[in-house]
Amino acid sequence: MSIQYRAVQWNRHKRIYDLLLVAGVVLFIAVFMIVGLTRWQGTAAAHPVTLLMRATSSCAITMLSIILMIGPAARLSPRFSPLLYNRRHFGVTMFLVALIHGAVAVFWYHGFGIVNPIVSVFTSNARYDSLSGFPFQPLGVLALAILFVMAATSHDFWLKNLTPTVWKTLHMLVYVAYALIVMHVTLGFLQDDVSWVYGALLGGTAVVIITLHLVTGVREWRRDSRDEGQAFGEGWIDVGSVDDIELNHAKVVVLRGCERIAVYRHADGISAISNVCAHQNGPLGEGRIVDGCVTCPWHGYQYLVHNGQSPPPYTEKIPTYDVRVEGRRILVNPEANPPGTEVTPASIPSETSGDRA
Amino acid sequence: MPVAETIILAVASYAILGVVFAIWFVFRGVERFDPVAQGGPVSFRLLILPGSAALWPLLLIRCLRALKESPA
Repeated sequence: MSIQYRAVQWNRHKRIYDLLLVAGVVLFIAVFMIVGLTRWQGTAAAHPVTLLMRATSSCAITMLSIILMIGPAARLSPRFSPLLYNRRHFGVTMFLVALIHGAVAVFWYHGFGIVNPIVSVFTSNARYDSLSGFPFQPLGVLALAILFVMAATSHDFWLKNLTPTVWKTLHMLVYVAYALIVMHVTLGFLQDDVSWVYGALLGGTAVVIITLHLVTGVREWRRDSRDEGQAFGEGWIDVGSVDDIELNHAKVVVLRGCERIAVYRHADGISAISNVCAHQNGPLGEGRIVDGCVTCPWHGYQYLVHNGQSPPPYTEKIPTYDVRVEGRRILVNPEANPPGTEVTPASIPSETSGDRA
Repeated sequence: MPVAETIILAVASYAILGVVFAIWFVFRGVERFDPVAQGGPVSFRLLILPGSAALWPLLLIRCLRALKESPA
């Protein structure tokens, strides 16, 4: 949340995160280089530049794999949410490591001829009709180009001005980049006679990433089926009992099979807002009320529960829903109000006078 | 001219035009359609420069539209 853009919105948590991140990258590359220099000797010895390329590529693909695991892991367990909080810096750091790998590789393998190094990347191996001999370097360049666009647009300025939907779609290209990198590395193995251990690690990691996504998808689908609101009459939908919801927490409910809302119980009663954060589509219903505001569990964006507006001077808004309580049952009008619309919270009758049916 | 060189030339031309546009955009144009950017520090402007160079056709259209809609 910001009222004026800054390059980086630092806070203590982000500083610690970034320090650990940079330390991890430096340690990974240093250990890889030292082990490589001491272990591969004689005829198997690799030039330090070659080792640097291997170290940066291994580091970048490890980081990308972790990045792809963070999202589904955080959906499965809130313990992983702290990793999600600053994933943007993780992604930009990963791009910079990949850029070092790409730049060193292009100039080391293509920088000493008479052909332009970039042209040489695409033309030095022209076996585009071969499967095992297919040129793997252009695949890496394409992946790097995608990662560049993603890193270059990793700022709230772009999120706001491209709109969250376009921004999110653009950043989903990470899966295309990952596929290109897997092909880039696999073809590199095939053509360079590298140890099978690398191939096994790459394949194993890809299996873990795919499995995590599938498990999360199935779990979300089951939860959506279970938490779907039931028609009550006159267009209202019964979304459950007030006793199902802990104070200052929410229940996520699916309306009309597709729209997720967060039904919050708070000191003034019951309110319903969209479950989708205006920042990066974070699940607001999995957050809680902090300092009187619904707080997104992903990046801490906040909204006033009765009108879906970020507290002044911030300007983010999300849709609200009309809500009422009959006995102990919560009824929601599935027609969303425009973002930022004030809705009086439904008061909760005392348990002694309430109907607990 | 071979296909690869033609494509590289096209990409390089796009990038050069993008950098020229981005320099103008981050220091002048950005404030025309995003009030939050007004008075933004140089570090922020430099940070959005690569993205501005990459997405310059989109931003150019947005700038022209903003110019058209602003009162004369």
